[in-house]
Amino acid sequence: MPIIIQPYREEHEQAVREFNQRLMANGGSDDLLFFTSAKPQWLPKTEGANLYQEFFLALDGEVMRGGYALKHQDFQFSDGTTRSIGYYHHPISEGVVDAKYATLGAMLLKDAMNRAPLLYCLGMGGYDRPLPKMLMRLGWSHFAVPFYFKVVRPNRFLREMQALRTSQLRKLALDFATFSGAGWAAIKAMQAFRRLGSTKPAAFQVDQVREFSDWTNALWEQARRHCTLTAVRNCQTLRTLYSPTETHLMRLRVRRAEQDIGWAVIGERRKDEKYGDLRVGSIVDCWAAPQEALAVVSAASSAAADLGMDLIVSNQSHQMWIRAFEQAGFVNSTSNFIFAAGKKLAALLDPFAENRTRFHFTRADGDGLPRNF
Amino acid sequence: MTANILDQVRGIASDLFAIPADRVKAESSPENIEAWDSTQHLNFVLALEEKFGLQLSPEEMEQMRSVGEAAKLIASKLQSGAQ
Repeated sequence: MPIIIQPYREEHEQAVREFNQRLMANGGSDDLLFFTSAKPQWLPKTEGANLYQEFFLALDGEVMRGGYALKHQDFQFSDGTTRSIGYYHHPISEGVVDAKYATLGAMLLKDAMNRAPLLYCLGMGGYDRPLPKMLMRLGWSHFAVPFYFKVVRPNRFLREMQALRTSQLRKLALDFATFSGAGWAAIKAMQAFRRLGSTKPAAFQVDQVREFSDWTNALWEQARRHCTLTAVRNCQTLRTLYSPTETHLMRLRVRRAEQDIGWAVIGERRKDEKYGDLRVGSIVDCWAAPQEALAVVSAASSAAADLGMDLIVSNQSHQMWIRAFEQAGFVNSTSNFIFAAGKKLAALLDPFAENRTRFHFTRADGDGLPRNF
Repeated sequence: MTANILDQVRGIASDLFAIPADRVKAESSPENIEAWDSTQHLNFVLALEEKFGLQLSPEEMEQMRSVGEAAKLIASKLQSGAQ
Protein backbone atom coordinates (compact mmCIF):
# COMPACT_ATOMS: atom_id res chain seq x y z
CA MET A 1 0.00 0.00 0.00
CA PRO A 2 1.42 3.43 -0.85
CA ILE A 3 2.37 5.68 2.04
CA ILE A 4 0.24 8.78 2.34
CA ILE A 5 1.10 11.81 4.45
CA GLN A 6 -1.86 13.47 6.07
CA PRO A 7 -2.85 15.57 9.11
CA TYR A 8 -2.71 13.71 12.41
CA ARG A 9 -6.23 13.19 13.77
CA GLU A 10 -7.52 11.73 16.99
CA GLU A 11 -8.35 8.39 15.38
CA HIS A 12 -4.62 7.95 14.60
CA GLU A 13 -3.50 8.13 18.22
CA GLN A 14 -3.48 4.35 18.67
CA ALA A 15 -1.34 3.98 15.51
CA VAL A 16 1.10 6.52 16.95
CA ARG A 17 1.34 4.62 20.23
CA GLU A 18 2.06 1.41 18.32
CA PHE A 19 4.68 3.21 16.20
CA ASN A 20 6.41 4.48 19.35
CA GLN A 21 6.35 0.98 20.83
CA ARG A 22 7.94 -0.49 17.69
CA LEU A 23 10.68 2.13 17.79
CA MET A 24 11.36 1.54 21.47
CA ALA A 25 11.38 -2.23 20.97
CA ASN A 26 13.98 -1.77 18.24
CA GLY A 27 16.35 0.32 20.28
CA GLY A 28 14.79 3.76 19.88
CA SER A 29 15.18 6.37 22.59
CA ASP A 30 12.66 8.58 24.38
CA ASP A 31 13.57 11.65 22.36
CA LEU A 32 12.63 9.80 19.16
CA LEU A 33 9.04 9.21 20.13
CA PHE A 34 6.20 11.00 18.37
CA PHE A 35 3.44 13.03 20.02
CA THR A 36 0.74 10.76 21.41
CA SER A 37 -1.93 13.43 21.27
CA ALA A 38 -3.21 14.62 17.90
CA LYS A 39 -3.87 18.07 19.31
CA PRO A 40 -0.59 19.85 20.09
CA GLN A 41 -0.32 20.67 23.78
CA TRP A 42 1.95 23.57 22.88
CA LEU A 43 0.58 26.14 20.39
CA PRO A 44 -2.50 24.30 19.13
CA LYS A 45 -4.28 25.78 16.14
CA THR A 46 -7.01 28.19 17.16
CA GLU A 47 -9.39 30.34 15.14
CA GLY A 48 -7.52 33.19 13.47
CA ALA A 49 -4.17 32.35 15.05
CA ASN A 50 -0.97 33.03 13.11
CA LEU A 51 1.18 31.13 15.58
CA TYR A 52 0.33 27.46 15.87
CA GLN A 53 1.55 23.93 15.36
CA GLU A 54 0.28 21.06 13.23
CA PHE A 55 1.30 17.41 13.19
CA PHE A 56 1.40 15.16 10.14
CA LEU A 57 1.65 11.40 9.83
CA ALA A 58 2.92 9.10 7.09
CA LEU A 59 0.39 6.29 7.01
CA ASP A 60 0.73 2.93 5.35
CA GLY A 61 -2.97 2.05 5.46
CA GLU A 62 -3.73 2.15 9.18
CA VAL A 63 -0.09 1.82 10.20
CA MET A 64 2.03 4.85 11.06
CA ARG A 65 5.46 4.84 9.44
CA GLY A 66 6.56 8.38 10.28
CA GLY A 67 5.52 11.90 11.15
CA TYR A 68 6.63 15.47 11.69
CA ALA A 69 5.55 18.74 13.29
CA LEU A 70 5.21 22.11 11.62
CA LYS A 71 5.09 25.37 13.53
CA HIS A 72 3.67 28.35 11.66
CA GLN A 73 4.76 31.79 12.77
CA ASP A 74 4.92 35.33 11.40
CA PHE A 75 8.40 36.66 10.76
CA GLN A 76 9.53 40.12 9.83
CA PHE A 77 12.02 40.44 6.98
CA SER A 78 14.61 43.15 6.28
CA ASP A 79 12.25 45.11 4.02
CA GLY A 80 9.77 45.38 6.88
CA THR A 81 7.31 42.89 5.40
CA THR A 82 5.82 40.12 7.50
CA ARG A 83 5.38 36.59 6.19
CA SER A 84 4.30 33.35 7.78
CA ILE A 85 7.10 30.80 7.69
CA GLY A 86 7.19 27.17 8.76
CA TYR A 87 9.48 25.53 11.29
CA TYR A 88 9.97 21.83 10.53
CA HIS A 89 10.65 19.76 13.61
CA HIS A 90 10.38 16.31 15.16
CA PRO A 91 10.64 14.43 11.87
CA ILE A 92 10.70 10.75 12.65
CA SER A 93 10.43 7.70 10.46
CA GLU A 94 10.49 3.96 10.77
CA GLY A 95 13.59 4.22 8.59
CA VAL A 96 15.64 4.61 11.78
CA VAL A 97 14.95 0.98 12.62
CA ASP A 98 13.92 -0.54 9.26
CA ALA A 99 15.85 0.20 6.05
CA LYS A 100 12.72 -0.51 4.02
CA TYR A 101 11.54 2.96 5.01
CA ALA A 102 14.83 4.76 4.38
CA THR A 103 13.27 7.13 1.83
CA LEU A 104 10.57 8.29 4.19
CA GLY A 105 12.68 11.07 5.74
CA ALA A 106 12.93 12.79 2.35
CA MET A 107 9.19 12.31 1.75
CA LEU A 108 8.32 13.93 5.07
CA LEU A 109 10.52 16.92 4.32
CA LYS A 110 9.00 17.26 0.83
CA ASP A 111 5.53 17.26 2.32
CA ALA A 112 6.53 20.05 4.71
CA MET A 113 8.09 22.03 1.84
CA ASN A 114 4.81 21.79 -0.06
CA ARG A 115 2.74 22.89 2.92
CA ALA A 116 5.12 25.67 4.00
CA PRO A 117 7.33 26.72 1.07
CA LEU A 118 9.21 29.16 3.33
CA LEU A 119 10.68 26.60 5.68
CA TYR A 120 13.41 26.49 8.30
CA CYS A 121 14.85 24.10 10.83
CA LEU A 122 16.42 25.06 14.15
CA GLY A 123 18.30 23.13 16.79
CA MET A 124 18.75 19.60 15.47
CA GLY A 125 21.51 18.60 17.90
CA GLY A 126 24.57 19.30 15.75
CA TYR A 127 25.90 18.96 12.21
CA ASP A 128 26.64 15.26 12.66
CA ARG A 129 22.93 14.35 12.97
CA PRO A 130 20.98 12.91 10.00
CA LEU A 131 18.62 15.84 9.44
CA PRO A 132 21.26 18.59 9.14
CA LYS A 133 23.34 16.27 6.98
CA MET A 134 20.40 15.92 4.61
CA LEU A 135 19.70 19.67 4.62
CA MET A 136 23.33 20.43 3.76
CA ARG A 137 23.13 18.07 0.77
CA LEU A 138 19.93 19.80 -0.29
CA GLY A 139 21.79 23.10 -0.38
CA TRP A 140 20.02 24.78 2.54
CA SER A 141 21.69 27.91 3.92
CA HIS A 142 22.80 27.45 7.51
CA PHE A 143 24.88 28.45 10.50
CA ALA A 144 25.26 27.43 14.13
CA VAL A 145 23.50 29.90 16.44
CA PRO A 146 26.20 30.89 18.96
CA PHE A 147 25.95 29.43 22.46
CA TYR A 148 26.90 31.49 25.49
CA PHE A 149 27.28 30.54 29.12
CA LYS A 150 28.14 32.23 32.38
CA VAL A 151 29.19 30.36 35.48
CA VAL A 152 27.57 31.76 38.62
CA ARG A 153 29.00 29.23 41.08
CA PRO A 154 32.39 28.07 39.81
CA ASN A 155 32.99 25.35 42.40
CA ARG A 156 29.65 23.64 41.78
CA PHE A 157 30.25 24.00 38.03
CA LEU A 158 33.61 22.23 38.27
CA ARG A 159 32.21 19.46 40.48
CA GLU A 160 28.96 18.80 38.62
CA MET A 161 29.53 19.58 34.95
CA GLN A 162 29.57 16.04 33.59
CA ALA A 163 30.49 17.15 30.06
CA LEU A 164 33.88 18.25 31.47
CA ARG A 165 34.40 15.21 33.70
CA THR A 166 34.92 12.73 30.90
CA SER A 167 37.94 10.83 32.24
CA GLN A 168 39.44 9.95 35.61
CA LEU A 169 42.34 12.31 34.96
CA ARG A 170 40.05 15.22 34.12
CA LYS A 171 37.93 14.50 37.21
CA LEU A 172 41.06 14.61 39.38
CA ALA A 173 42.20 17.85 37.77
CA LEU A 174 38.78 19.46 38.19
CA ASP A 175 38.52 18.30 41.82
CA PHE A 176 41.95 19.76 42.49
CA ALA A 177 40.91 23.02 40.83
CA THR A 178 37.76 23.09 42.96
CA PHE A 179 39.35 22.44 46.32
CA SER A 180 42.42 24.58 45.74
CA GLY A 181 40.34 27.54 44.65
CA ALA A 182 42.27 27.75 41.38
CA GLY A 183 39.21 26.83 39.33
CA TRP A 184 37.10 29.50 40.96
CA ALA A 185 39.77 32.11 40.27
CA ALA A 186 40.26 30.98 36.66
CA ILE A 187 36.56 31.08 35.81
CA LYS A 188 36.03 34.43 37.47
CA ALA A 189 39.09 35.82 35.66
CA MET A 190 37.90 34.50 32.32
CA GLN A 191 34.48 36.06 32.72
CA ALA A 192 35.96 39.32 33.97
CA PHE A 193 38.26 39.37 30.96
CA ARG A 194 35.23 39.22 28.67
CA ARG A 195 33.84 42.30 30.37
CA LEU A 196 37.06 44.30 29.90
CA GLY A 197 36.48 47.47 27.95
CA SER A 198 32.72 47.31 28.26
CA THR A 199 30.90 50.06 30.04
CA LYS A 200 28.47 49.17 32.76
CA PRO A 201 24.88 49.85 31.73
CA ALA A 202 23.23 52.86 33.34
CA ALA A 203 21.01 51.97 36.30
CA PHE A 204 17.83 50.14 35.39
CA GLN A 205 14.86 48.68 37.16
CA VAL A 206 13.62 45.10 36.71
CA ASP A 207 10.14 43.84 37.49
CA GLN A 208 8.81 40.36 37.17
CA VAL A 209 5.47 40.51 35.33
CA ARG A 210 2.74 37.90 35.28
CA GLU A 211 2.15 38.43 31.58
CA PHE A 212 3.32 40.68 28.80
CA SER A 213 0.97 43.48 27.85
CA ASP A 214 0.66 46.46 25.50
CA TRP A 215 3.90 48.14 26.61
CA THR A 216 5.83 45.48 24.64
CA ASN A 217 4.36 46.75 21.35
CA ALA A 218 6.31 50.01 21.56
CA LEU A 219 9.52 48.08 22.15
CA TRP A 220 8.76 45.81 19.19
CA GLU A 221 8.29 48.87 16.97
CA GLN A 222 11.48 50.52 18.25
CA ALA A 223 13.82 47.61 17.70
CA ARG A 224 12.46 45.54 14.82
CA ARG A 225 14.24 47.58 12.15
CA HIS A 226 17.55 46.36 13.57
CA CYS A 227 16.77 42.80 12.47
CA THR A 228 17.00 41.34 8.98
CA LEU A 229 14.87 38.42 10.18
CA THR A 230 13.00 37.93 13.41
CA ALA A 231 9.86 36.22 14.60
CA VAL A 232 7.28 38.89 15.35
CA ARG A 233 7.62 39.69 19.02
CA ASN A 234 4.64 41.94 19.64
CA CYS A 235 2.33 41.73 22.63
CA GLN A 236 -0.05 39.24 21.05
CA THR A 237 2.78 36.83 20.16
CA LEU A 238 4.43 37.16 23.55
CA ARG A 239 1.15 36.43 25.32
CA THR A 240 0.81 33.26 23.27
CA LEU A 241 4.38 32.08 23.75
CA TYR A 242 4.71 33.11 27.38
CA SER A 243 1.20 32.93 28.72
CA PRO A 244 0.73 33.15 32.50
CA THR A 245 0.00 29.40 32.53
CA GLU A 246 3.66 28.81 31.64
CA THR A 247 4.61 29.11 35.29
CA HIS A 248 8.08 27.66 34.75
CA LEU A 249 9.09 30.80 32.85
CA MET A 250 9.79 34.22 34.35
CA ARG A 251 8.93 37.36 32.38
CA LEU A 252 11.05 40.40 33.09
CA ARG A 253 10.21 44.02 32.30
CA VAL A 254 13.26 46.24 32.23
CA ARG A 255 12.85 50.00 32.70
CA ARG A 256 14.89 53.10 33.28
CA ALA A 257 13.42 56.31 34.60
CA GLU A 258 9.91 54.92 34.11
CA GLN A 259 10.61 54.20 30.45
CA ASP A 260 10.47 50.65 29.11
CA ILE A 261 13.80 49.66 27.61
CA GLY A 262 13.38 45.91 27.04
CA TRP A 263 12.17 42.56 28.23
CA ALA A 264 13.53 39.08 28.78
CA VAL A 265 12.21 35.62 29.54
CA ILE A 266 14.22 33.29 31.74
CA GLY A 267 13.64 29.74 32.93
CA GLU A 268 15.33 26.84 34.65
CA ARG A 269 16.24 24.00 32.32
CA ARG A 270 15.11 20.49 33.07
CA LYS A 271 17.73 18.20 34.51
CA ASP A 272 20.13 16.96 31.89
CA GLU A 273 22.83 14.40 32.61
CA LYS A 274 25.53 16.51 30.94
CA TYR A 275 24.95 19.19 33.58
CA GLY A 276 24.84 16.76 36.52
CA ASP A 277 23.07 18.33 39.50
CA LEU A 278 23.73 21.88 38.36
CA ARG A 279 20.83 24.30 38.33
CA VAL A 280 20.93 25.65 34.81
CA GLY A 281 19.11 28.86 34.01
CA SER A 282 18.43 29.94 30.48
CA ILE A 283 17.88 33.37 29.02
CA VAL A 284 15.24 32.01 26.69
CA ASP A 285 14.33 35.18 24.86
CA CYS A 286 15.05 38.91 24.98
CA TRP A 287 14.25 42.11 23.16
CA ALA A 288 15.55 45.69 23.23
CA ALA A 289 16.98 48.40 21.05
CA PRO A 290 20.76 47.99 20.52
CA GLN A 291 21.80 50.57 23.10
CA GLU A 292 19.79 48.76 25.79
CA ALA A 293 20.74 45.15 25.02
CA LEU A 294 23.46 45.06 27.69
CA ALA A 295 21.05 46.34 30.34
CA VAL A 296 18.54 43.61 29.45
CA VAL A 297 21.18 40.86 29.48
CA SER A 298 22.50 42.13 32.83
CA ALA A 299 18.96 42.23 34.24
CA ALA A 300 18.16 38.71 33.06
CA SER A 301 21.49 37.35 34.22
CA SER A 302 21.11 38.86 37.69
CA ALA A 303 17.56 37.54 37.99
CA ALA A 304 18.71 34.02 37.09
CA ALA A 305 21.55 34.22 39.60
CA ASP A 306 19.14 35.44 42.30
CA LEU A 307 16.97 32.39 41.61
CA GLY A 308 19.92 30.21 42.61
CA MET A 309 21.14 29.11 39.19
CA ASP A 310 24.70 27.74 39.05
CA LEU A 311 25.07 28.27 35.33
CA ILE A 312 23.25 30.53 32.86
CA VAL A 313 23.07 29.68 29.17
CA SER A 314 21.66 31.28 26.06
CA ASN A 315 21.70 30.94 22.29
CA GLN A 316 21.82 34.20 20.33
CA SER A 317 22.28 34.86 16.64
CA HIS A 318 22.10 38.67 16.39
CA GLN A 319 25.45 40.46 16.55
CA MET A 320 23.99 43.08 18.87
CA TRP A 321 22.96 40.45 21.42
CA ILE A 322 26.21 38.55 21.00
CA ARG A 323 28.09 41.73 21.89
CA ALA A 324 25.83 42.36 24.87
CA PHE A 325 26.27 38.82 26.23
CA GLU A 326 30.04 39.08 25.88
CA GLN A 327 30.05 42.46 27.60
CA ALA A 328 28.02 40.91 30.41
CA GLY A 329 30.76 38.30 30.94
CA PHE A 330 29.26 35.39 29.02
CA VAL A 331 31.64 33.01 27.29
CA ASN A 332 31.11 31.48 23.87
CA SER A 333 31.23 27.72 23.44
CA THR A 334 30.51 25.14 20.75
CA SER A 335 26.94 25.29 19.55
CA ASN A 336 24.81 22.40 18.34
CA PHE A 337 21.85 24.74 17.76
CA ILE A 338 21.71 25.03 14.00
CA PHE A 339 19.59 27.32 11.88
CA ALA A 340 18.94 26.13 8.33
CA ALA A 341 16.76 27.86 5.75
CA GLY A 342 15.24 26.15 2.74
CA LYS A 343 16.11 27.61 -0.64
CA LYS A 344 12.91 29.63 -1.05
CA LEU A 345 13.33 31.22 2.36
CA ALA A 346 17.06 31.75 1.83
CA ALA A 347 16.31 33.60 -1.43
CA LEU A 348 14.41 36.20 0.61
CA LEU A 349 17.36 36.53 2.97
CA ASP A 350 19.95 37.19 0.31
CA PRO A 351 22.83 38.01 0.79
CA PHE A 352 22.53 35.35 3.47
CA ALA A 353 26.10 35.52 4.83
CA GLU A 354 25.81 39.25 5.37
CA ASN A 355 22.23 39.36 6.63
CA ARG A 356 22.49 36.46 9.03
CA THR A 357 24.46 38.52 11.56
CA ARG A 358 21.23 40.45 12.16
CA PHE A 359 18.84 37.50 12.34
CA HIS A 360 17.32 37.32 15.82
CA PHE A 361 17.03 33.68 16.84
CA THR A 362 16.94 32.42 20.40
CA ARG A 363 15.88 29.21 22.10
CA ALA A 364 12.33 30.54 21.97
CA ASP A 365 12.25 30.13 18.21
CA GLY A 366 12.70 26.40 18.31
CA ASP A 367 10.66 23.68 19.94
CA GLY A 368 12.58 24.01 23.18
CA LEU A 369 10.03 25.71 25.38
CA PRO A 370 8.04 22.60 26.28
CA ARG A 371 10.95 20.20 25.85
CA ASN A 372 13.60 21.92 27.88
CA PHE A 373 11.80 23.77 30.66
CA MET B 1 5.27 11.17 -23.32
CA THR B 2 7.30 13.37 -25.60
CA ALA B 3 10.91 12.53 -26.26
CA ASN B 4 11.71 16.11 -25.40
CA ILE B 5 10.56 15.71 -21.79
CA LEU B 6 12.52 12.48 -21.40
CA ASP B 7 15.62 14.21 -22.76
CA GLN B 8 15.23 17.08 -20.32
CA VAL B 9 14.73 14.70 -17.39
CA ARG B 10 17.80 12.74 -18.50
CA GLY B 11 19.74 15.99 -18.60
CA ILE B 12 18.74 16.86 -15.05
CA ALA B 13 19.64 13.35 -13.86
CA SER B 14 22.98 13.57 -15.64
CA ASP B 15 23.86 16.87 -13.95
CA LEU B 16 22.63 15.82 -10.54
CA PHE B 17 24.11 12.35 -10.39
CA ALA B 18 27.27 13.42 -12.21
CA ILE B 19 27.15 10.83 -14.95
CA PRO B 20 27.42 11.37 -18.73
CA ALA B 21 24.06 12.05 -20.39
CA ASP B 22 24.48 9.18 -22.82
CA ARG B 23 24.63 6.76 -19.90
CA VAL B 24 21.31 7.97 -18.46
CA LYS B 25 18.51 5.81 -19.86
CA ALA B 26 14.79 5.68 -19.19
CA GLU B 27 15.52 2.59 -17.08
CA SER B 28 18.13 4.37 -14.97
CA SER B 29 17.12 4.22 -11.32
CA PRO B 30 18.50 4.11 -7.78
CA GLU B 31 19.21 0.43 -8.48
CA ASN B 32 21.85 1.23 -11.09
CA ILE B 33 22.98 4.78 -10.22
CA GLU B 34 25.05 4.69 -7.08
CA ALA B 35 24.67 8.40 -6.28
CA TRP B 36 20.86 8.18 -6.37
CA ASP B 37 20.00 7.89 -2.68
CA SER B 38 16.94 9.29 -0.89
CA THR B 39 18.39 12.79 -0.45
CA GLN B 40 19.49 12.97 -4.07
CA HIS B 41 16.05 11.72 -5.04
CA LEU B 42 14.58 14.75 -3.28
CA ASN B 43 17.11 16.99 -5.06
CA PHE B 44 16.04 15.36 -8.34
CA VAL B 45 12.36 16.04 -7.61
CA LEU B 46 13.07 19.66 -6.65
CA ALA B 47 15.10 20.16 -9.85
CA LEU B 48 12.22 18.73 -11.91
CA GLU B 49 9.76 21.05 -10.18
CA GLU B 50 11.91 24.04 -10.96
CA LYS B 51 12.53 23.04 -14.56
CA PHE B 52 8.91 22.27 -15.39
CA GLY B 53 7.22 24.80 -13.10
CA LEU B 54 5.05 22.34 -11.20
CA GLN B 55 4.70 20.87 -7.73
CA LEU B 56 5.03 17.19 -6.93
CA SER B 57 3.56 15.52 -3.88
CA PRO B 58 5.58 13.16 -1.69
CA GLU B 59 3.43 10.32 -2.98
CA GLU B 60 4.29 11.23 -6.60
CA MET B 61 7.91 11.49 -5.54
CA GLU B 62 7.74 7.85 -4.44
CA GLN B 63 6.26 6.77 -7.78
CA MET B 64 9.25 8.09 -9.68
CA ARG B 65 11.41 5.01 -9.41
CA SER B 66 13.32 5.60 -12.65
CA VAL B 67 14.14 8.37 -15.09
CA GLY B 68 11.47 7.07 -17.45
CA GLU B 69 8.79 7.00 -14.73
CA ALA B 70 9.73 10.53 -13.71
CA ALA B 71 9.42 11.73 -17.32
CA LYS B 72 6.07 9.96 -17.69
CA LEU B 73 4.71 11.57 -14.54
CA ILE B 74 5.94 15.03 -15.59
CA ALA B 75 4.36 14.62 -19.02
CA SER B 76 1.08 13.54 -17.46
CA LYS B 77 1.05 16.48 -15.04
CA LEU B 78 1.91 18.96 -17.78
CA GLN B 79 -0.83 17.54 -19.96
CA SER B 80 -3.46 17.65 -17.21
CA GLY B 81 -2.33 21.17 -16.33
CA ALA B 82 -2.71 22.28 -19.93
CA GLN B 83 -6.25 20.96 -20.21
